[in-house]
Amino acid sequence: MEEPAFYDIRHVSGSSTHIEIDNSIVESASVSFVDTATLRVLGRKGWGVAIIENYSMKSQKEIDEYISTAMRYASVTEEEVSLGDAKSGILPVPAMKENPQDVSLEEKCELLLNIEKAAKIKGIVNSRANYTEGLGTVFYTDSSGNEYKYDMCRSGYSVSAVAKENDIMQAGRESEHTILGLNMRHKENKGLEAAERAIKLLSASPAKGGIMDAVLDQELAGVFAHEAVGHASEGDLVKEGVSVLRGKIGEKIGGDIVSVVDDPTLHEFGFMPVDAEGVLPKRTDIIKNGVLNSFIHDRQTLAVVGDGDAGHSRGEAGAVPLVRMSNTFIENGDSSYDEIIAECRSGILLKGSRGGQVDPGRGVFQFNAEYGYLIENGELAGMVRDVSLTGDILKTLHNIVLCAGDRVMNPGYCGKGGQSVPVTDGSPHILLKSAVVGGQG
Amino acid sequence: MVEKISVIDNILREGQKIADDVEVFFAKASGVGVELKGSQIGEASGSDSCGIGIRVIKDGKIGCSSTNDPLKWKMCLDSAVSGAKLATPQEWGGLPLPSEIEKRDLHTFDTSLKVDISVTTEMINKLKTGASEYEADIVGGSASVSSGGIILANSNGVFYSNEKTRAGVSLETICGTSTGYEFDNSCFQDEIDPVNVGREAAYLAVHSKDGDEIDTGKYDVILSPVAVCQLLGSVVFPSFSGKSVKAKRSFLADKLGECCMDESLSIYDDPFNGMGAALRDSEGVPTRKIDFVKEGVVNEFSYDLKTAYRYGEQSTGSAVRAGSGGAPVIGTHNIYVDGKRENIYDEKAVYAHTVVGAHTANGITGDFSVELSNASWMQDGERGRPIRSAMLSGNIFEMLKDIQGMSPESRKLGSIIVPAMRFGSLSVVGK
Repeated sequence: MEEPAFYDIRHVSGSSTHIEIDNSIVESASVSFVDTATLRVLGRKGWGVAIIENYSMKSQKEIDEYISTAMRYASVTEEEVSLGDAKSGILPVPAMKENPQDVSLEEKCELLLNIEKAAKIKGIVNSRANYTEGLGTVFYTDSSGNEYKYDMCRSGYSVSAVAKENDIMQAGRESEHTILGLNMRHKENKGLEAAERAIKLLSASPAKGGIMDAVLDQELAGVFAHEAVGHASEGDLVKEGVSVLRGKIGEKIGGDIVSVVDDPTLHEFGFMPVDAEGVLPKRTDIIKNGVLNSFIHDRQTLAVVGDGDAGHSRGEAGAVPLVRMSNTFIENGDSSYDEIIAECRSGILLKGSRGGQVDPGRGVFQFNAEYGYLIENGELAGMVRDVSLTGDILKTLHNIVLCAGDRVMNPGYCGKGGQSVPVTDGSPHILLKSAVVGGQG
Repeated sequence: MVEKISVIDNILREGQKIADDVEVFFAKASGVGVELKGSQIGEASGSDSCGIGIRVIKDGKIGCSSTNDPLKWKMCLDSAVSGAKLATPQEWGGLPLPSEIEKRDLHTFDTSLKVDISVTTEMINKLKTGASEYEADIVGGSASVSSGGIILANSNGVFYSNEKTRAGVSLETICGTSTGYEFDNSCFQDEIDPVNVGREAAYLAVHSKDGDEIDTGKYDVILSPVAVCQLLGSVVFPSFSGKSVKAKRSFLADKLGECCMDESLSIYDDPFNGMGAALRDSEGVPTRKIDFVKEGVVNEFSYDLKTAYRYGEQSTGSAVRAGSGGAPVIGTHNIYVDGKRENIYDEKAVYAHTVVGAHTANGITGDFSVELSNASWMQDGERGRPIRSAMLSGNIFEMLKDIQGMSPESRKLGSIIVPAMRFGSLSVVGK
């Protein structure tokens, strides 16, 4: 058998806990078990991959057979792969304040129920809450002799409430996820917040679409950083020619105030101690004062594209890793929130996020706020709902004219190539000139 | 397989000692696939997966667990039993019995399909042949084949198995900053046409280049089957779930029997015809056709056993395995949208091939605002000048009250089978 030029194995084993509460009924409280590995081999040209279930039980002989199967797969590949040099290593996993493992499933149910019950106020017709906990041991080994192992627990909850009045229904939602331990104690206020927002939205008017100046709150501006800038800076998209940022390193692509960073070393929800190919994660400054500075890479895209850092390779358990973001944010500016609202004069404040999507090749993004307020004469006016924002990445970055100094990070999940990974997006309040706002009012 | 069946027997035997009802869902699949990185194959992969989901019911309390290691079945069973202790008890009338079901050929297994990497490289070549008809660059794509099966067994003696094959391709292209994407998949390899997928993906990128601006205003809009699937799939189909209806978070909750959609519109689930076909659902209940909307009238909702027992309804055989830990939840098998078919392409309209951001729609109210992709004018049956960028806003339930027409042909998008649909006077924001 031909020996692989390189191989690596990423093995994930552990358990996942889910609790689901619907209208105060405990629908399910379950713990499930997973044990799976991704084996990648580099043949004469590209990658051959074998996904191995129950890896813990496999003998060395079986693993060798998987390597030869993967080599057979690799023989059909055409793309020449070389791997860029990157420093291998692992960061310590931060200590948890309260390890969810030390808390019984029964107590977790009670805590979640308290949050959900707090949402049951007058006018709310349905309330729901979910808890998820993923506890895993990740073991990485490669043919260059690198070996890393770490344990990590990600946990969090979400609570949502539906308000109804006559024929109108609106929903409010709150969620918090963390790597720092159980976060469900004394969080009844989050259930209440979700419920109160749902009720307030009943009397909000639909937003009127058009081109206007917009203030984005920290959460929505964070989604903007992620969708509009982060994805387009992913080395695989740049390499394959599907990013509008390709070939623009060193160019001024945004206002002086705009700096965007992806930092997997921060102890936020997107933290990773070592990336999916054994590289030591590091902070990457994607945009520095409006100038495109770096792409985020894995070792292969670093070798082809350059101009950036490896250490951004991530994958779900039992999936092939891809270039992914971790903790992505817009840096603080020196304005205040009040200055930004006043400077906007006439426009719209967009708050919260229902998610977003981007076509990085075309350079077009879309995302939806949970709600907003009209801004009239530099002050907040009526509340609006169902308001979205679209735009052209390269145009929009030049239209960010003010950033406040109040950055907040928001955890969530990002989907790409059918895989979902934990991330955090963050930003201060920002002022965006001539934004394309959608709504049907 | 014998080894798997003995694991199932062990779980049922041990489980019955501690619970009233026990259910085992066993799934296995093997597949291979290749990925294009740019225009070259950069990655080829294979997997053999298996999973066991266990559900126990004791005094109306339901517990679940799952594992991908058959040897851990005891741990998994214990975990399901512990989970059941915490669940809120509910009315429970038992798991299904092994009743007679009509034998049908579900047409989901391609005996000639080979799960071999060479099959996928041939499909890639065909994608490229199709794409070469237009001057677009290939930036990515994939081809995959798989074969798998499930076994559903319970302590009442139900033992149901269902085997399926699948072949799928996709291609992504770019021309300047104009992008194109197309895909196809089927249980049968010869039912997909990789050459055509390649051709269409390349056409979309080339045709959408140098689009015109569009003025903000109201326009007639034709949504392609893909766009229909995106918008209806994120808001309308989930609102048929009996769970959402009973929990009062479905827009349709109090509209049973009401004509609240266009009188030409029918939406139904046909469990015997399509990639999602099954004779029993994933908790063993015999499946049947479900008429969600019949000529504009909201006719029925879908139920699994748990929801049906809780609210005094009948299960519609709609359980699928998509819940946490592989638990059954309400889903659909093959969903069809049907209605008055006619030529909808003659009079001038904005044509949207896909939308960006359908998942950000308001799932309760149906309000949405999305960016159009590969949009163009359409007139006299021809796709005309491309439209550079446009944002479409509306309310999907309002739109379904007044449908101008549906295309004669439907497209199979996995287990969702829909036509193109034409709507009048929708709000479009230009740049």
